[in-house]
Amino acid sequence: MSPVSRETFWRLLAGAVFLLFAAVAGWAQEPPPGPDPQPEPAVEAAEEIEEVAEAAAEPEVVENLLAIVGGRIHTVTDGVIHQGTVLVRAGRIEAVGAQVSVPAGARVIDATGMHVYPGLVATDASGLLGRPPKPADSFDPFSLTVDLALSGGLTTVHNNGVVGKLTRGTLEGHILRENPFVELSYSSTSPTSRRKLVEDLEKAREFLRQRHAAERARADGDKDAKDPSDKGVNKDLVELLEGRRTAQLQGSNARDLLAVVDLLERFPMRAVVGSGIEAWTVAPQLGRAGVMVVVSPRQKNWADDRFNRPNGWSIENARILHDAGVRFTLQPRSSSISTGGIAGRDLLTLPMEAAFAIRGGLPQAAALKAITLDAARILGVEDRIGSIEAGKDADLIVTDGDLFDYRTFVQWAVVNGRVAYDKQAAPYFAHIRPRQEPPSGDALDALRAAAPGGADAALDDGKDVAEPRDVDAPENSSGTNGG
Amino acid sequence: MHPAFLALLPAVLAPAQDPGPAAKADAAPVGRATVYRVDRIETLDGEAMESATLVVRQGVIEALGKAVVVPTGAVVHDLRGGGSTLMPPYVLTHANWLQSDSRGNGRNARFLAADSLWLDDDALQPLREHGVLLVGVDPPGSGLPGRTSVLDADAAAPQPRARVRDLHLKVELDSNNRSKELLRKALEDADKAIEKEAKARTDWEKARKDWDEKQKKAAADKAAKDEKKPAEGGEATPKPGKDEGGDDKSSGKGKDAEEKAPPETFEPPTIEPDLVPVVEWVRKQRVAQIWVDDAAAWLHLLDVLGERELPWELVAMHSSSTNLHEVLDALEKRGERVYLPARLSFLPFTRTRLNLPAELAARGVPLVLLPPATRGPGGFGRSSAETNLHDWRAGVSELVRGGLDRGVALRAITLEAAAAIGQEEHVAALVAGGPATFVILDGDPLDATAEVQFLLREGKVLYDRAKEEKEERR
Repeated sequence: MSPVSRETFWRLLAGAVFLLFAAVAGWAQEPPPGPDPQPEPAVEAAEEIEEVAEAAAEPEVVENLLAIVGGRIHTVTDGVIHQGTVLVRAGRIEAVGAQVSVPAGARVIDATGMHVYPGLVATDASGLLGRPPKPADSFDPFSLTVDLALSGGLTTVHNNGVVGKLTRGTLEGHILRENPFVELSYSSTSPTSRRKLVEDLEKAREFLRQRHAAERARADGDKDAKDPSDKGVNKDLVELLEGRRTAQLQGSNARDLLAVVDLLERFPMRAVVGSGIEAWTVAPQLGRAGVMVVVSPRQKNWADDRFNRPNGWSIENARILHDAGVRFTLQPRSSSISTGGIAGRDLLTLPMEAAFAIRGGLPQAAALKAITLDAARILGVEDRIGSIEAGKDADLIVTDGDLFDYRTFVQWAVVNGRVAYDKQAAPYFAHIRPRQEPPSGDALDALRAAAPGGADAALDDGKDVAEPRDVDAPENSSGTNGG
Repeated sequence: MHPAFLALLPAVLAPAQDPGPAAKADAAPVGRATVYRVDRIETLDGEAMESATLVVRQGVIEALGKAVVVPTGAVVHDLRGGGSTLMPPYVLTHANWLQSDSRGNGRNARFLAADSLWLDDDALQPLREHGVLLVGVDPPGSGLPGRTSVLDADAAAPQPRARVRDLHLKVELDSNNRSKELLRKALEDADKAIEKEAKARTDWEKARKDWDEKQKKAAADKAAKDEKKPAEGGEATPKPGKDEGGDDKSSGKGKDAEEKAPPETFEPPTIEPDLVPVVEWVRKQRVAQIWVDDAAAWLHLLDVLGERELPWELVAMHSSSTNLHEVLDALEKRGERVYLPARLSFLPFTRTRLNLPAELAARGVPLVLLPPATRGPGGFGRSSAETNLHDWRAGVSELVRGGLDRGVALRAITLEAAAAIGQEEHVAALVAGGPATFVILDGDPLDATAEVQFLLREGKVLYDRAKEEKEERR
C-alpha cells in the first residue's frame, strides 16, 4: 500500500466516521420512526398538560376522552404493541401506538402489565339482547347477563336478527346493525328445497343483471332504460348476492359442507356455516369457496367407521381450517350466559372455548381474530368493530393476563368509549385476586422508606396480582390467517 | 266561676294561633263545638304538639294547641293516654284492589277507572276503618289502560260517585316491549291528529275568507244589478242550515250560488276516543302517570319521549329486588313527584338492603307511598283491602326505621298524596281556620297495630270506632 493510498485511506476513514456520527446525531433529532398520526396536536397536548398541571392539581376530566396506557395492545390487524396507548375520543379509537401522547383531561386507565384486546364478538348469543318483535325496545342494559357477558369480555353479540352492543346502563349506541343474516336451507336430504333455492337465486341474479344493465344504459345516456320488475324476486337473496348480508347455512357433516361449497361456487356470496364439526375434513374446499365456519372446539362427535374417509370431530378442526385459509369464529355449544349448570361451557367463558382450539394447534393470534374480527366479519360489521385501529369503535377489554389463560379476568370493558364494566366496581369478581391500583408517587415514597429492599421489593409481595402472565407464543402478528 | 265568664273565655283564649277571629268576637261563635284531646297532634306543618287539644266548630278547626280552653257546652272526646295521635287523614292514591280485571296490554285510554270498579256493598268500609279519606283508583294493565279516578272513602258503594272521574292518563311500561311500541305509536298518532287538526283549521280559515270575499263580491255585483232591475232571488241556503250568507241570491245563477258555505265555527276532525286523552297530554292539557318497573323501562321511557317536554309523574314499581337505584340521579335531576310502594328492597343479586324512598327523599324528590302489594304489569293487588292497608302502614314504618325521614313519610301518605290527586285543599296541614278534616288513632300513625278512632271530613264524623263497635255488639 503506497503512502498516498494510506493517507487517502485514513482520510476516507475519518470522513466516514464523521459522516456516521453526523448521521447518528441527525437521526437522534428526527422524530422516532413509525407512523405518528397527529404529531402536532400531540405536542400541543403535551403543553396543555403542563399548563393544566400548573393551573390545578387535578385537571378537569374531559367527557368522552379516555386513554388506556401502558398495556400490551393486541390490535388483531397490526400485531402487538408493547406498552402502548389507546386513545379514545367520543366513542371512537383516535390513536393507537407506543408513541401516542395523552391529552390533558383524559380519563386514564393504567393498564401497565395488562393486556388490551378488542371487545369479543359472539355471532350467536341468547338472553342478552331484547326479544322479538322489536328487540331494541326490550333490551335491558342493566341486566345481570349483560354485566356478566361484559365480565367475560364480550362487547357485541348477535341474537334475533340484531347485532347489539352491550351498552351497560344506556340505550345509546346499542344497535350496531339489524338483520345481518339470511337463513338458507340447502340440506343434502331435501333435493326439492335445494332446487327451489337455486331457482330463486338464479332469479335474483337475473334481476341484478338486468338492473345493472339498466343502470349502465342510463349512465350511457339512455334515459328510458327502466329497472326490471322485482316481481317474484326474493329481496333477501338479492341482498345476499349484492354482498350486503350473510347467508347462514347449516352443515355439520362433510356432505352438507360440500353442498354449501357447491352452492357458493355457483353463487358467490358471504356465507357462514353453523356447527362445522366436520369442516376440518373438507377445509381446502371451504377455503377455496370462501365459506366461513362456526366452530365449537369442545363439541365432540365420534367418527363413524363405516365411512372410508376422515369424519367426526377433531380438536384440530380450527387449526386445520386456519391453515387452509378458512375464516371461522369460535362459539361454545351453549349460546347463553348461564347462571346455573356446569360452569365454563357457556358464553361467559368464550376465551376458554377458544383455548381448546389453541390446544388443538391454532395459533393464539388466530384464536383472537376468530372471536373478534372474523366474528365481526360474519356479522358484516368488520368496518366498525373487531380490531384496535384508529377510526374504529372504541370497544375494548383490558385483562390482567393473557386472554386465553384460565386465571385471567377482564378488569375493564369499554363499549363505545364508555367504561361499561370495571371488575372492582361490579359485585361479581371484585373479591377474587382484587386489582391493586398502582401506587401514586407519595405512596411509592412511603413504601421505599418502609421496605428495606426498596419499593419494588415492597410491591412484589408474592401475590400474583395483575402480574402479566404470558403464555403468548412468539408470534407477533395475526396476519397468518389468509383471506 | 260564673258561667257567662266561662262562655266568653274561649273567645279570648282559644285561637292562640290566629288572633283574627278573637279580635272581632263580639258575636258569639255559632253552633256547638266538638273538642278532641289527644296525646299528640301531627299538624304536618312544623313541630308536632304534645298533649294537645283541637276544637272543631262548623266544620272548621277553631283552635288547636297545648293551651286551648274547652268551650262551654262543647262535646269533649278525651283520648289522652296510650299515645293517641291526631293528624290529617291518610290518602291512598292507588287502591287497585277496587278495580275489576286488567284489560291487558293495549291502547284503552278511553276507559275511566271509576267506570270499571268492582265493589261490594261495604267495599269502602275498610278504608274508613284505616283512616283513609280519599282513594285513587287506576285501571290495571300495561300500555295505555285508561285514566285514573278519585273516590271518597264515604261514597256509597257499590256504585260510588267519583270525586274526580277523569284525572291522569295512565301509561305503564314494562319489560313487555309492546308497551313501549304502544306508547311510541300513541304519541305519533297524537302528533298526526294535532297536525291534521291544524291543517283542517288552516283550510277552514282559508275557506271562510274566500267565502266572505265571494259573498262581498256577490253582494256588490247584486247591488250593481239591483240598481238596474230589482228582483227577489230564491234562497240558496248552505247545507249546514245556518243562515249566514243569507243575503238572497240571484235565482240559481252561476255555480257560486250552489257552493256550500263553510261552517261558521271550526269543526275539528274527530279523534278516535282512545287517542283523545293522549292528544290532550301532548297538548300539555293533562298529566300522565307513567309506571316503570325497572331501570331499563326508565331508559326506554326517556327514549320514547325523546325531546318532548310533557307533564308526567313517575310510578316507580320497585319490587323486592330492584335496580331503580341506577336512575336515582336522573330522578333527582328531574325533581318531579314519584309514587312508589312502601317497601325495602335488595340490590339485585345481593343481600344488600336498598331504601329507595329514603334515597329519593334525601335527594329532595317529593314522594307518595303506596301499599307494598301494589302491582305492576297485568296483575294487581289481589290481597284484601285489610291486608293492603295494614301492610301499607307497616311498610312505611319499616322505611322510617330504615332511614326515611318521618315527616316525609307522614306527608307521603297524607298531604303529598292528596296533592298528587289534586285534593290539596281538602287534605291539608292542620291549622286554625282550616277544614276539620283529620284522623285520630290510638297510637302512632305509622304503627300498623294502632287503630283509628275517628275520621272526620270538615267536622263530619265519617268513622267513629266506639260507635261502630257498639252497633256491632248489638
